[in-house]
Amino acid sequence: MKKNALDFKEGMPVSAMSITDMSKNKTGSWRYMRPYYQNKTAPCIKGCPTGEKIPDYFDKVKAGKFEEAWHIILEDNPLPGVCGRVCYHPCEGACNRKDLDSPIAINNMERFVADQNMANGYPKHFHVEKTEMKIAIIGSGPAGLSAAYQLARKGHAVTIYESLAQPGGMLQMGIPKYRLPREVLKKEIKDIQTLGVKIKTKCTVGKDISWQNLQMSYDAVLIATGAIKSRPLNIPGEEKKGIAPGLQFLREFNLDDKKEIKRKVVVVGGGNTAIDCARSAVRLGADVTIVYRRSHKEMPAVPEEIEEAEAEGVKINYLTNPVEFIGDSRVRKIRLIRMELGEPDDDGRRRSVEVQGSEFEIEADQVMLAIGEIPALDFLPDSINAQWGRVDVDSFQMTNNRGVFACGDSANGPIGTVVDAIATGKNSAFTIDAFLNDKSYHFINNNNVVGFDKINLDYFHKEERPAEARSDQTKLTNNFSEVNLGLDKDQAKNEAERCFSCGYCTTCDTCLVFCPDVAITHSDNGAPYTINYDYCKGCGICVYECPRDAMAFEEEIKWKTE
Amino acid sequence: MSQMKFEIPKIELMKSGHVACPGCGASMAMRYALKALGQNTMIVIPACCWAIIDGPSPCSVNGVPVFHTAFETAAITATGIKAGLSRQGDNDTTVMAWAGDGGTFDIGLQALSGAAERNEDIIYVCYDNEAYMNTGIQRSSATPWGAWTTTTPTKTPKSRPKKNIIDILLAHHIPYVATASVAYPDDFIRKMKKAKSIRGMKFIQILSPCPPGWKSAPEQSVHISRLAVNSKVFPLYEVEDGYRYKISLNHKNIPVEEYLKHQGRFKHLSKEQIKQIQVDTDTKWEVLMKKVEMGELFSEN
Ligand SMILES: Cc1cc2nc3c(=O)[nH]c(=O)nc-3n(C[C@H](O)[C@H](O)[C@H](O)COP(=O)(O)OP(=O)(O)OC[C@H]3O[C@@H](n4cnc5c(N)ncnc54)[C@H](O)[C@@H]3O)c2cc1C
Ligand SMILES: Cc1ncc(C[n+]2csc(CCOP(=O)(O)OP(=O)(O)O)c2C)c(N)n1
Ligand code: SF4
Ligand code: SF4
Ligand code: SF4
Ligand code: SF4
Ligand SMILES: [Mg+2]
Repeated sequence: MKKNALDFKEGMPVSAMSITDMSKNKTGSWRYMRPYYQNKTAPCIKGCPTGEKIPDYFDKVKAGKFEEAWHIILEDNPLPGVCGRVCYHPCEGACNRKDLDSPIAINNMERFVADQNMANGYPKHFHVEKTEMKIAIIGSGPAGLSAAYQLARKGHAVTIYESLAQPGGMLQMGIPKYRLPREVLKKEIKDIQTLGVKIKTKCTVGKDISWQNLQMSYDAVLIATGAIKSRPLNIPGEEKKGIAPGLQFLREFNLDDKKEIKRKVVVVGGGNTAIDCARSAVRLGADVTIVYRRSHKEMPAVPEEIEEAEAEGVKINYLTNPVEFIGDSRVRKIRLIRMELGEPDDDGRRRSVEVQGSEFEIEADQVMLAIGEIPALDFLPDSINAQWGRVDVDSFQMTNNRGVFACGDSANGPIGTVVDAIATGKNSAFTIDAFLNDKSYHFINNNNVVGFDKINLDYFHKEERPAEARSDQTKLTNNFSEVNLGLDKDQAKNEAERCFSCGYCTTCDTCLVFCPDVAITHSDNGAPYTINYDYCKGCGICVYECPRDAMAFEEEIKWKTE
Repeated sequence: MSQMKFEIPKIELMKSGHVACPGCGASMAMRYALKALGQNTMIVIPACCWAIIDGPSPCSVNGVPVFHTAFETAAITATGIKAGLSRQGDNDTTVMAWAGDGGTFDIGLQALSGAAERNEDIIYVCYDNEAYMNTGIQRSSATPWGAWTTTTPTKTPKSRPKKNIIDILLAHHIPYVATASVAYPDDFIRKMKKAKSIRGMKFIQILSPCPPGWKSAPEQSVHISRLAVNSKVFPLYEVEDGYRYKISLNHKNIPVEEYLKHQGRFKHLSKEQIKQIQVDTDTKWEVLMKKVEMGELFSEN
């Protein structure tokens, strides 16, 4: 042992020498602002109608825990494989990252997670003890399926009634296979059935079973019949052979593989149904023209899909509208009129007005009408209120008839997309459950949304989103193989890393690293970190530096009075 | 990689309970320095904020021996301790002199120069908060041009540029000289570890935000440090053997105004004065780039 000045005299070292640390000096008393950990809502979560916990499951993707990521999505959405392909992804429109470079490819990420779990079934804890309650759902589209799934997860006995031979609603009858391979849909419906959900196909309510019968036999009824009736054009010659709703063509082709397609096909309309009809017809060898009465800008179809359709050879006649179908018993020609754009109408789109004397004719052997779909509600008793052709529901998705609920495209409220149907289906399930248990229900209010200005850009570098792989579509004829192929593992992991993770702590350690007072430590009580308020001086560096606003800072006085 | 990540040693030798002001960069700097050097370290601290931060006798916030010494004697005291250890057969313990800018650029310069010229085997860290903070924010030769201090009031702010201490040290041909920032702890830690591995004199200057002295918000200390680096007001680089320059990271092109505007000590500056600072900063950066080039030229031969 070295000889040191460690000899103590009367308890004190002989020279001025430290014998203790500074732990007695509780610098926390200096603090007038208190930092604390607080996860907030990412804008993508709020942007997603079903409220998927996006940064939460991204965290699992980063760690390669794809099954856990799937479980997180499943809490809100039982159809990630479907949505990851066909959802119009409002989440991405809300994504903060778009203000730096490009939004996170959330839709692709969802698909990636679903694809990784194609061989997996639900975890044990999804199967809960059964209750006594019985619920009937009419319609097996995304709305009905989502509601059935959430109700079954609460233990209720659910029976879905479906007119068609196969469940899935528009996912089965409408959306073409090159956008949604049916194995994916089948798998996700099968998963839902493992929870005990019964689906009675080929059973139309109002025909095979009466409404009254249904209402008597169940504790609650949910209407999820979608919008399956095509709007007519109401112009001369519409009854001619060769003219039919586009949705009918899609349904017959998708369900029964009926391929009655002529050489020259004209599709009327500018929405997604029109595009799906056109792209399907092209794949069946037709020469396809879309006729749309407004301009490209007003077209309600998704821009990428319009582009893809055009790339596949679909011609689009903008600013034209049919006025008459010409031919003997069969349609041969369509008389069109040129249109021009006038004043904006109620929903802000510019009205289209006919240009007098501008009629002209084009050839057509087959016409598909795709100018919109509306609900078919004839099976309902008059006592249930409807508005604008849709079942009238309150904010709890309940009709004026207690115990009768409605959701998806058949009800008023957010409509027209798969994810809205899933969201309103989920909400109905929660309110039906509350109704059956005589409980009050509050929807989660996603306040405290993290704005782009709250992201600390010092921590992020620009990097564009990945481009999704696409299958070879050079040979289109009879090719209904999936066009978009999603992301690979590396791309998905990288995309999860690119996400700011707005308001959601990623345990990046930034706060811990920068604390000048060593007041932040990894905690062992479940939360990732503990702030030692005995020493934290409230400098605020941790809060200011947190790359993603997962901390908050509040006047100490508030805590003292609490 | 689109996100910044840290690789920082877990060990915490500097503990809580110190008496630095909230948001003090000097306290962060010490925390990282000790993470890099580890337990087998002795620190020499002259008169400066850190002489106080560490705690009153018989307390010390640092879990390694700290030797307090007179204002002008950091380098020579460290030299003495190193010599004493070596006489006892201990050549492993790292001896680090830890001084403010006043104790380095000004009053301690002759001791520092002596130690550097003799190539003493010590690490000398100057935590540079650009004024005599502990005694109430008086100017030092490290105070930048145009800055307010209590002895350079806004009517007559500092009229001389900041002394280039790195060039002074380089003139001594010592093995390792580097600049560092509390905003880049991983870079600082890497440099400290490198310094530890080199025999002979090592000098590191770390820019150290001081909220009361800079009149800045405590929560912005890291942010301001990052701006100092990326506006090139305080570029990060290292120099081996007196001529081999290496820029430590990709400096972004941030206008100096971004850096200045968060600090009350620069609030009085006019647009023209800020422009002048920008021009000076750009020139210094270009000179630095030339030195990097020249270093490369010599390295090839
Ligand atoms: C061609 C096409 C493509 C589309 N593409 C997309 C897309 O890419 N992305 C997107 O987000 N949205 C898309 N949509 C819209 C989307 O499909 C619908 O908004 C969504 O399916 C509505 O869901 P739902 O459950 O309310 O109704 P639906 O999906 O329409 O399902 C209703 C179901 O109820 C059944 N049913 C109806 N009446 C009865 C009855 N009396 N008895 C028993 N069963 C009955 C029907 O047979 C049907 O299966 C598309 C729509 C169409 C038509
Ligand atoms: C010889 C001598 N002169 C003056 C002082 C008073 N004094 C103590 S600390 C200090 C300022 C130190 O400034 P700097 O080295 O920059 O460290 P900072 O306080 O800024 O951290 C002064 C002037 C002293 N202790 N000894
Ligand atoms: S960056 Fe990530 S967390 Fe933030 S909005 Fe986009 S996807 Fe959501
Ligand atoms: S960085 Fe440390 S001292 Fe500062 S507020 Fe956060 S926990 Fe408190
Ligand atoms: S800095 Fe990182 S670890 Fe700390 S709260 Fe924010 S996200 Fe979580
Ligand atoms: S005066 Fe400045 S350097 Fe000194 S302890 Fe306070 S913040 Fe740190
Ligand atoms: Mg100083």
